[in-house]
Amino acid sequence: MKLFQVVLILSLVFILISYLRRFRRPALDKILVSLLLVAGIVFVINPDVTTKLAHLLGIGRGADLIFYLAMLGFCYMIIILYSKINKLEDQLTTLIRRQAFDAINLQKEKHD
Amino acid sequence: MTIFLIIPAFNEAPVIRQVLEELLPLGCFIILVDDGSTDDTARIAESFPIVVIRHLFNIGQGAALETGMEAARRLSADFVVHFDADGQHDSREIAALLKPLIKGDCDIVFGSRFLENKRPGLTLLKRMILHAGRWINYGLTGILLTDAHNGFRAMNRFALDKIHFTQPGMAHATEILTCVKKYSLRYMELPVHVRYTAYSKKKGQHILDSVNILFHLLFKKN
Repeated sequence: MKLFQVVLILSLVFILISYLRRFRRPALDKILVSLLLVAGIVFVINPDVTTKLAHLLGIGRGADLIFYLAMLGFCYMIIILYSKINKLEDQLTTLIRRQAFDAINLQKEKHD
Repeated sequence: MTIFLIIPAFNEAPVIRQVLEELLPLGCFIILVDDGSTDDTARIAESFPIVVIRHLFNIGQGAALETGMEAARRLSADFVVHFDADGQHDSREIAALLKPLIKGDCDIVFGSRFLENKRPGLTLLKRMILHAGRWINYGLTGILLTDAHNGFRAMNRFALDKIHFTQPGMAHATEILTCVKKYSLRYMELPVHVRYTAYSKKKGQHILDSVNILFHLLFKKN
Protein backbone atom coordinates (compact mmCIF):
# COMPACT_ATOMS: atom_id res chain seq x y z
CA MET A 1 0.00 0.00 0.00
CA LYS A 2 1.38 3.36 -0.99
CA LEU A 3 1.72 6.27 1.42
CA PHE A 4 -0.92 8.51 -0.22
CA GLN A 5 -3.39 5.64 0.01
CA VAL A 6 -2.87 5.46 3.76
CA VAL A 7 -3.28 9.22 4.09
CA LEU A 8 -6.47 9.29 1.99
CA ILE A 9 -8.01 6.33 3.82
CA LEU A 10 -7.24 7.88 7.21
CA SER A 11 -8.75 11.22 6.21
CA LEU A 12 -11.90 9.57 4.83
CA VAL A 13 -12.29 7.56 8.04
CA PHE A 14 -11.75 10.74 10.03
CA ILE A 15 -14.47 12.57 8.06
CA LEU A 16 -16.82 9.61 8.52
CA ILE A 17 -16.30 9.45 12.28
CA SER A 18 -16.57 13.20 12.81
CA TYR A 19 -19.70 13.32 10.66
CA LEU A 20 -21.39 10.46 12.52
CA ARG A 21 -20.43 11.84 15.91
CA ARG A 22 -21.24 15.47 15.42
CA PHE A 23 -24.44 15.51 13.48
CA ARG A 24 -27.63 13.85 14.37
CA ARG A 25 -29.38 13.34 11.09
CA PRO A 26 -32.00 10.92 9.85
CA ALA A 27 -30.63 7.37 9.61
CA LEU A 28 -30.89 7.36 5.84
CA ASP A 29 -28.55 10.31 5.68
CA LYS A 30 -25.98 8.45 7.74
CA ILE A 31 -26.20 5.33 5.62
CA LEU A 32 -25.71 7.40 2.47
CA VAL A 33 -22.65 9.16 3.79
CA SER A 34 -21.22 5.91 5.15
CA LEU A 35 -21.67 4.22 1.79
CA LEU A 36 -20.01 7.13 0.02
CA LEU A 37 -17.02 7.10 2.29
CA VAL A 38 -16.66 3.31 2.20
CA ALA A 39 -16.78 3.59 -1.59
CA GLY A 40 -14.06 6.21 -1.25
CA ILE A 41 -11.87 3.77 0.67
CA VAL A 42 -12.50 1.02 -1.89
CA PHE A 43 -11.56 3.42 -4.70
CA VAL A 44 -8.37 4.41 -2.93
CA ILE A 45 -7.29 0.80 -2.44
CA ASN A 46 -8.34 -0.26 -5.90
CA PRO A 47 -8.37 2.72 -8.31
CA ASP A 48 -9.13 0.48 -11.29
CA VAL A 49 -12.71 0.10 -10.05
CA THR A 50 -13.34 3.78 -10.74
CA THR A 51 -11.99 3.41 -14.26
CA LYS A 52 -14.28 0.47 -14.93
CA LEU A 53 -17.25 2.37 -13.50
CA ALA A 54 -16.32 5.40 -15.57
CA HIS A 55 -16.14 3.36 -18.75
CA LEU A 56 -19.53 1.88 -17.91
CA LEU A 57 -20.92 5.42 -17.74
CA GLY A 58 -19.07 6.53 -20.86
CA ILE A 59 -16.48 8.65 -19.05
CA GLY A 60 -12.85 8.32 -20.10
CA ARG A 61 -10.99 8.18 -16.77
CA GLY A 62 -11.87 7.13 -13.25
CA ALA A 63 -10.47 10.38 -11.90
CA ASP A 64 -12.93 12.33 -14.06
CA LEU A 65 -15.85 10.32 -12.68
CA ILE A 66 -14.79 11.14 -9.13
CA PHE A 67 -14.34 14.79 -10.09
CA TYR A 68 -17.85 15.06 -11.57
CA LEU A 69 -19.41 13.37 -8.57
CA ALA A 70 -17.48 15.64 -6.21
CA MET A 71 -18.74 18.69 -8.12
CA LEU A 72 -22.32 17.47 -7.81
CA GLY A 73 -21.79 16.84 -4.11
CA PHE A 74 -20.41 20.35 -3.56
CA CYS A 75 -23.27 22.00 -5.42
CA TYR A 76 -25.78 20.01 -3.41
CA MET A 77 -24.06 20.99 -0.17
CA ILE A 78 -23.98 24.66 -1.09
CA ILE A 79 -27.70 24.64 -1.86
CA ILE A 80 -28.52 22.91 1.43
CA LEU A 81 -26.35 25.37 3.36
CA TYR A 82 -27.78 28.35 1.52
CA SER A 83 -31.37 27.40 2.30
CA LYS A 84 -30.38 26.79 5.92
CA ILE A 85 -28.81 30.25 6.11
CA ASN A 86 -31.91 31.79 4.56
CA LYS A 87 -34.08 30.12 7.14
CA LEU A 88 -31.81 31.29 9.95
CA GLU A 89 -31.86 34.83 8.56
CA ASP A 90 -35.65 34.82 8.56
CA GLN A 91 -35.76 33.54 12.13
CA LEU A 92 -33.19 36.11 13.21
CA THR A 93 -35.19 38.93 11.63
CA THR A 94 -38.33 37.79 13.43
CA LEU A 95 -36.43 37.59 16.69
CA ILE A 96 -34.84 41.02 16.37
CA ARG A 97 -38.15 42.60 15.40
CA ARG A 98 -39.85 40.98 18.38
CA GLN A 99 -37.11 42.24 20.66
CA ALA A 100 -37.30 45.74 19.17
CA PHE A 101 -41.04 45.94 19.88
CA ASP A 102 -40.63 44.49 23.37
CA ALA A 103 -38.03 47.12 24.21
CA ILE A 104 -40.32 50.11 23.62
CA ASN A 105 -43.69 51.27 24.74
CA LEU A 106 -45.27 51.85 21.36
CA GLN A 107 -47.43 54.93 21.36
CA LYS A 108 -47.95 57.94 19.14
CA GLU A 109 -45.79 60.93 19.82
CA LYS A 110 -46.46 64.05 17.89
CA HIS A 111 -44.65 67.30 17.48
CA ASP A 112 -46.84 70.30 18.31
CA MET B 1 -56.38 60.80 9.03
CA THR B 2 -53.14 59.46 10.43
CA ILE B 3 -49.99 59.74 8.34
CA PHE B 4 -46.79 57.98 9.35
CA LEU B 5 -43.35 58.63 7.91
CA ILE B 6 -41.17 55.54 8.13
CA ILE B 7 -37.45 56.21 8.11
CA PRO B 8 -35.05 53.27 8.07
CA ALA B 9 -31.66 54.44 9.31
CA PHE B 10 -28.27 52.81 9.56
CA ASN B 11 -25.33 54.91 10.76
CA GLU B 12 -26.76 58.27 9.67
CA ALA B 13 -25.59 60.34 12.64
CA PRO B 14 -24.06 63.16 10.55
CA VAL B 15 -27.34 63.99 8.79
CA ILE B 16 -30.21 62.54 10.81
CA ARG B 17 -30.77 65.67 12.94
CA GLN B 18 -31.16 67.84 9.87
CA VAL B 19 -33.48 65.34 8.18
CA LEU B 20 -35.72 65.09 11.25
CA GLU B 21 -35.79 68.86 11.77
CA GLU B 22 -36.95 69.20 8.20
CA LEU B 23 -39.71 66.60 8.66
CA LEU B 24 -41.14 67.58 12.05
CA PRO B 25 -43.00 70.73 10.90
CA LEU B 26 -45.06 68.58 8.53
CA GLY B 27 -47.05 67.38 11.54
CA CYS B 28 -46.95 63.71 10.58
CA PHE B 29 -46.12 60.90 12.95
CA ILE B 30 -42.57 59.71 12.45
CA ILE B 31 -41.23 56.22 13.03
CA LEU B 32 -37.47 55.90 12.80
CA VAL B 33 -36.19 52.35 12.66
CA ASP B 34 -32.57 52.26 13.73
CA ASP B 35 -31.18 49.19 12.02
CA GLY B 36 -28.39 48.43 14.48
CA SER B 37 -26.38 51.63 13.99
CA THR B 38 -23.03 51.72 15.72
CA ASP B 39 -22.92 55.52 15.82
CA ASP B 40 -25.14 58.11 17.54
CA THR B 41 -28.10 57.77 15.14
CA ALA B 42 -30.48 56.31 17.74
CA ARG B 43 -29.44 58.72 20.50
CA ILE B 44 -29.98 61.75 18.26
CA ALA B 45 -33.32 60.40 17.01
CA GLU B 46 -34.51 59.76 20.55
CA SER B 47 -34.11 63.44 21.38
CA PHE B 48 -36.97 64.16 18.95
CA PRO B 49 -40.67 63.59 19.67
CA ILE B 50 -40.86 60.58 17.39
CA VAL B 51 -41.12 56.81 17.72
CA VAL B 52 -37.68 55.20 17.62
CA ILE B 53 -37.47 51.44 17.21
CA ARG B 54 -34.06 49.86 17.48
CA HIS B 55 -32.87 46.62 15.92
CA LEU B 56 -30.27 44.91 18.10
CA PHE B 57 -27.98 44.68 15.14
CA ASN B 58 -27.98 45.42 11.43
CA ILE B 59 -30.26 43.26 9.26
CA GLY B 60 -31.04 45.36 6.21
CA GLN B 61 -33.26 48.09 4.84
CA GLY B 62 -36.07 45.72 3.90
CA ALA B 63 -36.26 44.35 7.44
CA ALA B 64 -36.13 47.87 8.92
CA LEU B 65 -38.98 49.03 6.67
CA GLU B 66 -41.07 46.01 7.65
CA THR B 67 -40.50 46.77 11.34
CA GLY B 68 -41.59 50.36 10.74
CA MET B 69 -44.64 49.23 8.79
CA GLU B 70 -45.59 46.79 11.53
CA ALA B 71 -45.41 49.64 14.05
CA ALA B 72 -47.59 51.78 11.76
CA ARG B 73 -50.12 48.94 11.51
CA ARG B 74 -50.25 48.65 15.30
CA LEU B 75 -50.65 52.42 15.66
CA SER B 76 -53.56 52.32 13.21
CA ALA B 77 -51.99 54.36 10.44
CA ASP B 78 -54.14 55.42 7.49
CA PHE B 79 -51.20 56.27 5.24
CA VAL B 80 -47.48 55.60 5.39
CA VAL B 81 -44.58 57.19 3.55
CA HIS B 82 -41.16 55.58 3.14
CA PHE B 83 -38.46 58.19 3.44
CA ASP B 84 -34.67 57.75 3.31
CA ALA B 85 -32.61 58.86 6.29
CA ASP B 86 -29.65 60.17 4.32
CA GLY B 87 -31.32 63.41 3.30
CA GLN B 88 -31.58 62.63 -0.40
CA HIS B 89 -35.37 63.05 -0.56
CA ASP B 90 -37.21 66.35 -0.46
CA SER B 91 -39.75 66.60 2.37
CA ARG B 92 -41.79 69.12 0.36
CA GLU B 93 -42.67 66.33 -2.07
CA ILE B 94 -44.38 64.16 0.56
CA ALA B 95 -47.68 66.00 0.16
CA ALA B 96 -47.63 65.40 -3.60
CA LEU B 97 -47.13 61.67 -3.11
CA LEU B 98 -49.99 61.49 -0.60
CA LYS B 99 -52.45 63.45 -2.70
CA PRO B 100 -53.63 60.68 -5.04
CA LEU B 101 -53.83 58.29 -2.08
CA ILE B 102 -56.02 60.62 -0.07
CA LYS B 103 -58.22 61.22 -3.10
CA GLY B 104 -58.54 57.44 -3.38
CA ASP B 105 -57.14 57.27 -6.89
CA CYS B 106 -54.61 54.56 -6.05
CA ASP B 107 -53.24 52.38 -3.25
CA ILE B 108 -49.54 53.01 -3.64
CA VAL B 109 -47.45 55.81 -5.14
CA PHE B 110 -43.85 55.30 -6.23
CA GLY B 111 -41.44 58.20 -6.41
CA SER B 112 -39.40 58.23 -9.60
CA ARG B 113 -36.32 60.29 -10.34
CA PHE B 114 -36.56 59.55 -14.07
CA LEU B 115 -40.09 60.77 -14.82
CA GLU B 116 -39.15 64.40 -15.32
CA ASN B 117 -35.41 64.29 -15.54
CA LYS B 118 -33.78 61.74 -17.80
CA ARG B 119 -30.35 61.98 -16.23
CA PRO B 120 -30.57 63.20 -12.66
CA GLY B 121 -26.89 63.56 -11.87
CA LEU B 122 -26.06 59.88 -12.11
CA THR B 123 -23.15 58.29 -13.86
CA LEU B 124 -23.89 56.40 -17.04
CA LEU B 125 -23.06 53.06 -15.38
CA LYS B 126 -25.47 53.68 -12.48
CA ARG B 127 -28.21 54.67 -14.89
CA MET B 128 -27.59 51.56 -16.94
CA ILE B 129 -27.81 49.36 -13.86
CA LEU B 130 -31.01 51.05 -12.70
CA HIS B 131 -32.49 50.50 -16.14
CA ALA B 132 -31.42 46.86 -16.13
CA GLY B 133 -33.10 46.65 -12.71
CA ARG B 134 -36.34 48.01 -14.18
CA TRP B 135 -36.41 45.29 -16.81
CA ILE B 136 -35.46 42.56 -14.34
CA ASN B 137 -38.33 43.74 -12.14
CA TYR B 138 -40.55 43.66 -15.20
CA GLY B 139 -39.48 40.11 -15.97
CA LEU B 140 -40.11 38.97 -12.42
CA THR B 141 -43.32 40.87 -11.70
CA GLY B 142 -44.76 42.14 -14.98
CA ILE B 143 -44.66 45.73 -13.75
CA LEU B 144 -42.43 48.25 -15.50
CA LEU B 145 -41.65 51.35 -13.45
CA THR B 146 -39.44 54.19 -14.61
CA ASP B 147 -37.30 53.90 -11.48
CA ALA B 148 -36.45 50.45 -10.12
CA HIS B 149 -34.96 51.40 -6.77
CA ASN B 150 -36.34 54.55 -5.25
CA GLY B 151 -36.86 54.55 -1.49
CA PHE B 152 -39.44 57.34 -1.61
CA ARG B 153 -42.96 55.90 -1.79
CA ALA B 154 -46.32 56.21 -0.09
CA MET B 155 -49.22 53.82 0.43
CA ASN B 156 -52.65 53.66 2.00
CA ARG B 157 -53.85 51.32 4.73
CA PHE B 158 -55.08 48.72 2.26
CA ALA B 159 -51.62 48.41 0.69
CA LEU B 160 -49.98 48.56 4.12
CA ASP B 161 -51.92 45.48 5.21
CA LYS B 162 -51.05 43.59 2.02
CA ILE B 163 -47.37 44.39 1.66
CA HIS B 164 -45.01 42.44 3.86
CA PHE B 165 -41.27 42.46 3.25
CA THR B 166 -39.54 39.13 3.70
CA GLN B 167 -36.44 40.21 1.80
CA PRO B 168 -34.25 41.70 4.51
CA GLY B 169 -31.96 43.60 2.15
CA MET B 170 -32.43 45.80 -0.88
CA ALA B 171 -34.40 43.25 -2.90
CA HIS B 172 -37.55 44.51 -1.15
CA ALA B 173 -37.92 47.03 -3.99
CA THR B 174 -38.82 44.08 -6.22
CA GLU B 175 -40.82 42.35 -3.54
CA ILE B 176 -43.10 45.37 -3.24
CA LEU B 177 -43.94 44.98 -6.94
CA THR B 178 -44.71 41.30 -6.42
CA CYS B 179 -47.25 42.34 -3.78
CA VAL B 180 -48.71 45.04 -6.05
CA LYS B 181 -49.22 42.39 -8.73
CA LYS B 182 -50.49 39.70 -6.37
CA TYR B 183 -53.13 41.87 -4.71
CA SER B 184 -53.87 43.99 -7.80
CA LEU B 185 -52.99 47.19 -5.96
CA ARG B 186 -53.60 50.36 -7.94
CA TYR B 187 -50.26 52.10 -8.36
CA MET B 188 -48.97 55.35 -9.74
CA GLU B 189 -45.59 56.94 -10.31
CA LEU B 190 -44.87 60.57 -9.54
CA PRO B 191 -41.69 62.54 -10.20
CA VAL B 192 -39.45 63.19 -7.21
CA HIS B 193 -36.10 64.89 -6.97
CA VAL B 194 -33.13 63.13 -5.49
CA ARG B 195 -30.45 65.31 -3.95
CA TYR B 196 -27.10 63.73 -4.59
CA THR B 197 -24.91 65.17 -1.91
CA ALA B 198 -21.40 63.90 -1.30
CA TYR B 199 -22.81 62.24 1.82
CA SER B 200 -25.73 60.46 0.17
CA LYS B 201 -23.46 59.27 -2.63
CA LYS B 202 -21.06 57.80 -0.12
CA LYS B 203 -23.89 56.18 1.82
CA GLY B 204 -25.68 54.99 -1.29
CA GLN B 205 -25.38 51.56 -2.76
CA HIS B 206 -22.31 50.44 -4.60
CA ILE B 207 -22.73 49.37 -8.19
CA LEU B 208 -21.80 45.82 -7.25
CA ASP B 209 -24.69 45.65 -4.76
CA SER B 210 -26.94 45.12 -7.76
CA VAL B 211 -25.38 41.67 -8.11
CA ASN B 212 -26.31 40.91 -4.50
CA ILE B 213 -29.88 42.02 -5.09
CA LEU B 214 -30.25 39.84 -8.17
CA PHE B 215 -28.79 36.86 -6.31
CA HIS B 216 -31.24 37.34 -3.44
CA LEU B 217 -34.17 37.57 -5.83
CA LEU B 218 -33.25 34.42 -7.69
CA PHE B 219 -32.35 32.18 -4.80
CA LYS B 220 -34.35 33.30 -1.84
CA LYS B 221 -37.74 31.73 -1.51
CA ASN B 222 -40.99 33.75 -1.46
